Amino acid sequence: MIGEAKIDIRNLNVWFRDNHVLKDISFQIRENAVTAIMGPSGCGKTTLIRAINRMNDLIYGCRTSGEVYIDGYNIYDRNVNVYELRRKVGMVFQKPNPFPKSIYENVAFGPKIHKMANGRELDEVVERSLREAALWDEVKDRLHDSAFNLSGGQQQRLCIARALAVKPEIILMDEPCSSLDPAATAKIEALIRKLGKRYTVIVVTHNLQQAARISDFTAFLYMGRLIEYGDTKSVFENPQSELTEKYITGKFG
Amino acid sequence: MSSKTGERVVFAVLGVPMLICMFIFSWILTLLLTGIGTVRWELLTVTVLRGGMFEMIVGTIYLLLGAVAVAGPIGILAAIYLVEYAPSGRLTRVIDQAINNLAGVPSIVIGLFGYTFFCRHLGLGVSLVAGWLTLALMVLPIVIRGSEEALRMVPASFKEAALALGATRWKAISSITLPAAAPGVVTSVILGIARVAGETAAILFTSCVLTARGLPKTPLEPVMALSYHLFVQIVALGTPAQRVFGVALVLFMTVVSLSLLAIILRIRYRRRQPWLR
Repeated sequence: MIGEAKIDIRNLNVWFRDNHVLKDISFQIRENAVTAIMGPSGCGKTTLIRAINRMNDLIYGCRTSGEVYIDGYNIYDRNVNVYELRRKVGMVFQKPNPFPKSIYENVAFGPKIHKMANGRELDEVVERSLREAALWDEVKDRLHDSAFNLSGGQQQRLCIARALAVKPEIILMDEPCSSLDPAATAKIEALIRKLGKRYTVIVVTHNLQQAARISDFTAFLYMGRLIEYGDTKSVFENPQSELTEKYITGKFG
Repeated sequence: MSSKTGERVVFAVLGVPMLICMFIFSWILTLLLTGIGTVRWELLTVTVLRGGMFEMIVGTIYLLLGAVAVAGPIGILAAIYLVEYAPSGRLTRVIDQAINNLAGVPSIVIGLFGYTFFCRHLGLGVSLVAGWLTLALMVLPIVIRGSEEALRMVPASFKEAALALGATRWKAISSITLPAAAPGVVTSVILGIARVAGETAAILFTSCVLTARGLPKTPLEPVMALSYHLFVQIVALGTPAQRVFGVALVLFMTVVSLSLLAIILRIRYRRRQPWLR
């Protein structure tokens, strides 16, 4: 069931050199729910989720202020282990990006580097992760084939399985369906709904219908500011801000 | 002037270098075809003391393997540093330019440097190891540039995925980026070997002798090499070219087959790397 706040973002600001990308963002993300982050291109959606696993740190010239608490601990604290943070906060990217390795090796990579499993145990982790990502039945007979032989939708589910394999608690998805056809999109959306029951899932999307279909909560971002945030139903049916209303009725964006 | 005439002029101008290349190529081919019959292949395994070329062939292989053993790891690590770690700043630009300059230094200058620095200053004398180090200086820029290119061709999204799983930077590079770039890296190493396989000037003062008693027993002894043998026979001893044709042919085929190997590897691996297509 939908739980307590898992992530508490307070006064988050992000700059890329002189470009102030996120401005004073504060909100709480609920545990075991799907939260959609929507907004027009360039509004800072991707930067916002990349602040939650500190992937922004890798970008030259990026500066962050404010706090992001996960389970009550500020991940921007000096003594935080970012590698452990990124194990706990998985990420799925816009374009499927499997490693140039076999299907099995793709899923096994995370557990291996974190020394979480090996041998039979690892086989089990791989199977469990692929099942959880609704891919097992399609690939169980060709686990050692190259991941590139899969279709785009299968590759994206493989990337989800790869993220699940390290037992994350939070899963960040950056427009996970933007490069997929409608059938593959439907599968991923169903999967996101299912994952939302066990994980804290945050999905960036610029597709309004998608946000409405898959999410429990919706945040609307515009030009680096959080304009509106609430449960999806009320954001879509009864938006508090005029900007949100304009956006969801297609007047801009 | 109609555009058609213009087209013809351009075509003719572009055709000239092509003709020159074909002329040179056919000339080499004629030499090969006429000479190939006169070579006694059994000499490949006969000692130099009995008029064979065994020690020269093995000596050349020794030189190449040693040069690669020195330049390969250093070059690959340097490329990883430059692509993945080096901050974009003045120092990096200076290093970058230095590598370009190293690639452009004439081999005779490298040979003289090797002699004064490795042979004399470091006291290695005329030896196999001095030859390795000198040749390595020539292989290095080729390995660095080739490996850099191979590393840059690997999509950043692979590394990003590894980092997002909680891999350290080195883990992401060593287990994802580098294996993906491996074919290009290997190709660059082979091209590096091919570049120095026929090299004479760099080993002229640093590691070669015309005749020695067998193969070097330690890296501190000098070696015999195909290219050096040719040079001394023709330039210093005035031996007619026909008499050393066998040596020239073996050397030629070594260089060509190394380059060919690099090309074949590149084509084969490209099929397995869809992101390069």
